[in-house]
Amino acid sequence: MSKVASNEAPGVRQSMAWIHGWLGLLAGWILFAMFLTGTASYFRPEITRWMQPEIDLHPVAPATAADTAVAHLQKVAPTAEQWFITLPDARTTATRIFIRERPNPDPNAKPAPRRAELRLDPATGEEVTARDTRGGEHFYRFHFQLQIPHPWGRWLAGLCAMAMLAAIISGVITHKRIFVDFFTLRWSKGQRSWLDAHNVSAVIALPFHAMITYTGLITLVAMYMPWPIEANYKDPATFETAVFGAEPDGEATGLPAALTPVAPLIARASEEWGGGRPATMVVRNPNDATATITLFQSAKDRLNARGGSIVFSGVDGRRLSASPPPGPAAETSGVMLGLHMGSFAGPVLRWTYFLLGLAGTAMVGTGLMLWTVKRKRPGAEPFFGIRLAERLNVGAIACLPAGMAAFLLANRLLPATLPARGDVEVSIMFWTWFGLAALACVRPIRRAWTETLAIAAVAFVALPLVNALTTDRGFVRSFANGDWLFVAFDLAMLATGALLGFGAWRAAQISSHPARKPRAAARPANPLREAVDAR
Amino acid sequence: MKGKMAGSSIANGRMAARAFTAIVGGYAAAAGFVSLLARIAPVDRAEATIWAMTLSFLVYAGLLLWAFHETRLARVAVAIWGLAFGTVGILWLLGPAL
Repeated sequence: MSKVASNEAPGVRQSMAWIHGWLGLLAGWILFAMFLTGTASYFRPEITRWMQPEIDLHPVAPATAADTAVAHLQKVAPTAEQWFITLPDARTTATRIFIRERPNPDPNAKPAPRRAELRLDPATGEEVTARDTRGGEHFYRFHFQLQIPHPWGRWLAGLCAMAMLAAIISGVITHKRIFVDFFTLRWSKGQRSWLDAHNVSAVIALPFHAMITYTGLITLVAMYMPWPIEANYKDPATFETAVFGAEPDGEATGLPAALTPVAPLIARASEEWGGGRPATMVVRNPNDATATITLFQSAKDRLNARGGSIVFSGVDGRRLSASPPPGPAAETSGVMLGLHMGSFAGPVLRWTYFLLGLAGTAMVGTGLMLWTVKRKRPGAEPFFGIRLAERLNVGAIACLPAGMAAFLLANRLLPATLPARGDVEVSIMFWTWFGLAALACVRPIRRAWTETLAIAAVAFVALPLVNALTTDRGFVRSFANGDWLFVAFDLAMLATGALLGFGAWRAAQISSHPARKPRAAARPANPLREAVDAR
Repeated sequence: MKGKMAGSSIANGRMAARAFTAIVGGYAAAAGFVSLLARIAPVDRAEATIWAMTLSFLVYAGLLLWAFHETRLARVAVAIWGLAFGTVGILWLLGPAL
């Protein structure tokens, strides 16, 4: 290998190894958090349901849910400007409604406060109330907004995703023995083991990592790369109409007209979509002569996440227009979006997504560990950059899971009527995360690993217990009732706790057997070669 | 690459210039390049626009890596900023199609 390197003046493998290391380090801590919370978000509706255990609804047909929602809206907001109705499905059991009030014609009047989204029992149309929480939505939002004000969080997440993409490409170029690495994992060999673990987690799921990174960028492409639209269209709305179809925008006339029943429209749309289900229904100017009802197709049963839409008259139910059939490019980007979100995935594929996401998290985590382990010299005091990177590794890898567990524990332990309860849960996650990370900074590094991993493990193992003590949906009763969501949640928390506990035990072992370390670290110091050629 | 990390202030300045060219210049060059393709490609406007947006990140990633691979900073700067200003300039002259 060293011969090859000296022949090609600036060896592409060398430069790629160098850039891979730095990209991975600088974006790594944020990428770790994005990967972990994104992986959890594959169970976004399930986490929300777990976080509101007092809601236990049973699925109904979409037409029934639409009927009960419209009946409720006719009671509470018959003259609103728009009704947004998100229909339930097998995973999200409540109907969600959002009302947009008609703006006050008096320009001096204060704008009406934005109404909150409400949830309804799809069988009865009655409002469902439960403890205030962000639920799984919190992990999902954090995954691409990083709890940083708009638009900076999304830009930072995009920059890190670009670093990830470049790191994947440079990582593939760096590793010439990629298929051998697939089968190589040597335990308890210090740096060697971290390199093997990084290679195995990266290579096993390489197509997934590449796919999820690229499609992640595509989810926000309109924000990150709007310039081709600017180059072609004077008004971006023209582009949107060409791709998604025209949105009805008739002003209300004030002439009252009874709203047409919605169930027949759902049947007709479903027929037009070859059996596809509607996910969302938007009613404009309800009970007015200009009323329209737009149905948007669900992405739950198709790969392309951008389903079509059909506009019906809200007075006589005539079909007015529909979104144009997607061309190859629109289809491709819709499928990319669908691949990222994974909403089409059934239980088996969803768990596969989850495990692949964990492999991605492990790839980033082991890469971060490798960076510090590789640069440590035996016997020498590590320089400031390494000590900083080591602490940040603890802060991301051990303290973020602890924060996530604290978020879930807070959900069970905070009083149900606490004001701004949902926000308090979120604050508790960040206080736990950053608080533990700060504590870890003042402890010896090996102890910091053992202690923070152990705290995280205990927090996860405590979750099933706290759930059983604070709700009537504990493990035994859930198992007896066939409430598999709660059973699986408890088991997943125990497994996570066990994994973190194993990590704590390994960290303790390594710190009590320091004799093992020098053997790996005392090898000739040639960091470039290490990165270029694994053997 | 490794030699550039020697820590002198000149080396640091060059690395900063290289990183700025790669990250900011690379973004501008990728955006200009794919937008120009979208503007002149002889296919449906909406389709060309979506293809350009979808493929833009691959172009950006390629430019980003090349900017750190090529040892001659001057060549990197001329190529990337040249591509950025060149494509954006042509687009400005062409104006939007629709």
